[in-house]
Amino acid sequence: MDGCSRNGEISPKLLHLIPQGRRNWFHDDNTSVYNTEEKKLELKLGPPGEDEDEDGASITRHIKKEPKDKSILSLAGNHFSPSSTTNKTTSQKRTAPGPVVGWPPVRSFRKNLANGSSSKLGNESSSNGGLLKNQKCEDDNGRGKPMEPKRQQGGMFVKINMYGVPIGRKVDLNAHNSYEQLSFTVDKLFRGLLAAQRESSSSGEEEKPITGLLDGNGEYTLTYEDNEGDKMLVGDVPWHMFASSVKRLRVIKSSEISSALTYGNGKQEKMRS
Amino acid sequence: MGWAFYNVPCSDTNTSLHPFSLAKGLVTSGRNTCTPYHSSTVKIPFVAILRTNLHQEMNYFPDEVIEHIFDSIASHRDRNSISLVSKSWHKIERCCRRRVFIGNCYAISPERLIGRFPCLKSLTLKGKPHFADFNLVPHEWGGFVHPWIDALARARVGLEELRLKRMVVSDESLELLSRSFANFKSLVLVSCEGFTTDGLASIAANCRHLRELDLQENEIDDHRGQWLNCFPDSCTTLTSLNFACLKGETNLSALERLVARSPSLKSLKVNRAVPLDALTRLMSCAPQLVDLGVGSYENEPDTESFAKLLAAIKKCTSLRSLSGFSEVAPLCLTAFYPICQNLTYLNLSYAAEIHGNHLVKFIQFCKRLQRLWILDSIGDKGLEVVASACKELQELRVFPSDLHDEEDNNAAVTEVGLVAISAGCRKLHSILYFCKQMTNAALITVAKNCPNFIRFRLCILEPNKPDHVTSQSLDEGFGAVVQACKGLRRLSVSGLLTDKVFLYIGMYAEQLEMLSIAFAGDTDKGMLYVLNGCKKLRKLEIRDSPFGNAALLADVDKYETMRSLWMSSCDVTLGGCKRLARDAPWLNVEIINENEDNGMERNEEDEREKVDRLYLYRTVVGTRNDAPSCVTIL
Repeated sequence: MDGCSRNGEISPKLLHLIPQGRRNWFHDDNTSVYNTEEKKLELKLGPPGEDEDEDGASITRHIKKEPKDKSILSLAGNHFSPSSTTNKTTSQKRTAPGPVVGWPPVRSFRKNLANGSSSKLGNESSSNGGLLKNQKCEDDNGRGKPMEPKRQQGGMFVKINMYGVPIGRKVDLNAHNSYEQLSFTVDKLFRGLLAAQRESSSSGEEEKPITGLLDGNGEYTLTYEDNEGDKMLVGDVPWHMFASSVKRLRVIKSSEISSALTYGNGKQEKMRS
Repeated sequence: MGWAFYNVPCSDTNTSLHPFSLAKGLVTSGRNTCTPYHSSTVKIPFVAILRTNLHQEMNYFPDEVIEHIFDSIASHRDRNSISLVSKSWHKIERCCRRRVFIGNCYAISPERLIGRFPCLKSLTLKGKPHFADFNLVPHEWGGFVHPWIDALARARVGLEELRLKRMVVSDESLELLSRSFANFKSLVLVSCEGFTTDGLASIAANCRHLRELDLQENEIDDHRGQWLNCFPDSCTTLTSLNFACLKGETNLSALERLVARSPSLKSLKVNRAVPLDALTRLMSCAPQLVDLGVGSYENEPDTESFAKLLAAIKKCTSLRSLSGFSEVAPLCLTAFYPICQNLTYLNLSYAAEIHGNHLVKFIQFCKRLQRLWILDSIGDKGLEVVASACKELQELRVFPSDLHDEEDNNAAVTEVGLVAISAGCRKLHSILYFCKQMTNAALITVAKNCPNFIRFRLCILEPNKPDHVTSQSLDEGFGAVVQACKGLRRLSVSGLLTDKVFLYIGMYAEQLEMLSIAFAGDTDKGMLYVLNGCKKLRKLEIRDSPFGNAALLADVDKYETMRSLWMSSCDVTLGGCKRLARDAPWLNVEIINENEDNGMERNEEDEREKVDRLYLYRTVVGTRNDAPSCVTIL
């Protein structure tokens, strides 16, 4: 319907025959990725940048017959995408990060690894909660769509896992400026999940608050991994120093503190050179 | 052509070869080991057989004897050579050929394959071109395995093994496969797509003698069903099970029962949905494992779980190969310390979250490592440790972990790491190295340190990046590599490169079979140097380089000696491609468009339009009929 107003020449009735998503070809193309050269190639109906050839092709199939003999078709002529530079900006089956399609030459599943978001079980990890306001919706089928990096638009998201909870969360450290705030957030993020895990084993329905994360008094303790790979207790250094060196967070059982920190900690045995 | 070793029953190597002594001995190709039972061997190239009447003498033998001799020759190329010696050898060879390798499924048809090799038991097929791995080939391009399975089934071929790479496989194909070959034993799918776990269920349920189900990096729609349950209780013959690429949940009890009743299981690679306690149980009931792929362990285990895991691992004294780890908490990794020193293959290239220090701590104890796949988070320092610890290293792959350029470069690897590896690991023959910078000096040093490279693939992440110290092109560096490494078979170049590097490649890379070029060269001369110089070239793939019709058309006959040529975002035009198709009817010249053809109108300008993607390959069966509309075959 909205297409009608943009071009009065086209009869509304005919227009209705064309599905909504296919009406872009009579837009005045300031917004289109195509340059003027390509406007000559008018039979392309799909919107620019759209992924699937199938979508774009569905209309054209109605218009022309499917050629049976490819060699005849080649003589009759085909539409070929014009210059290579433009093609780099137009559709590809799967989007790739970076400006150049198919570069660097790594397979899709590797491209997702860096952001730690290759698809998890049944996926949907971590993306709800008011504190995660800057985070875009993650694609969960692992089919090669890029995931947003940890740092973006001022939000600094680090992963946080909790012992006993198979699903991790993410915390925006830039939205906090003290350890108490962080501790409060951890409780908020995991209280419900922890209770859900325990449901199967105990009959109690109450959600217990998660407290004492910072002082060793609670059942759980908050630890983190810094940018040198070392495991540290949260709370020793000033907040800003912590925030600049933290890479990820872990909530461990307080009873496991000594073993967890010994094995994982490189402070004593670290490979420095 | 291969070599044949003939054992002669006397120590005098000057004795002319008597055909009866030939029959007594073992004929093997140069690449296989030969078990001599006499004191001396005489080495004769197969080509020499043609020049003697030896083969005619051999024809007095019964066919069974000749077949027996041929059976000990495994290499495909040697078998192909044998079949060229004479008509009778051709006939004997084809009837006793068990394993066939087809590098391009469109080069020949299933019917012709079966006609020539009716007794085949093992078939390897490759479909899409290599650049399909990087999303440069449309999904629907082709490479369907169904016609092959269909033809083999109808001809009642006794298929036992099927290995596919970059092919489209459907559930129907898998179902047909599972029902048509009573003795089917081994299915290996690499980088394939188009099927779901339902297809796997058919294989599990119907292939009674299944030994190997190996799924490597496929796109499989995981219906989270019970395919593991479909292995009947009577199935006890599994030797290899790899489902690491499945994304969904796994029925753990079915898996554990399957592993428990598979005493011959040597290779097990699970997916990320197998938690630590399940892994522990699996390892406990399969301590004979040689090759293990683990899941994803982001949470630190508690003390008790850790202890159990450690105990299970200690029992796996045969373990030589370790992979998986799509996430691994450092503590989990330490549990594998007891078996580190036995490992010959280690793949930690999926563990993006783990800090380089932890990786290094682990690897430094893997003294027997021959193949290492790792992420660049290991850093130059880490590679220096590898260089000093892993003296047996033959193959190294360093993958990029940070593709968004967000981190400061401290963690990534540079030319320093590469040089360190070349200095420390003198047995290195294969390398794949992603880095952000490189220098000619480093490459020259690497070439001097390791003249034994067979595969050398260097990928500098930024296209056209020069030597970061001298700002020159990297021609000299790669030139040094091809000059020093006389056995180089595979090469990928990157960084700022002019036509000169291709001059060097054409001049020196005599054994080169596969070359990958991206964002390189200045003129057609570059491509011409390669086509004219590399006599053994089989696969050439080029993207975003200024090579055009002149290079494409200069020597059309060259393409008959090659498997395929790929050119994308280069300067070849439609007119050039048409001309090539006309001059070389034994080639399929495919133009792959970004968008579907739309428009039957065509004006003269089209001939001058540059072609987006060109893929051509030799074939004996002409144009294929399963191409989608975005592909035009000229």
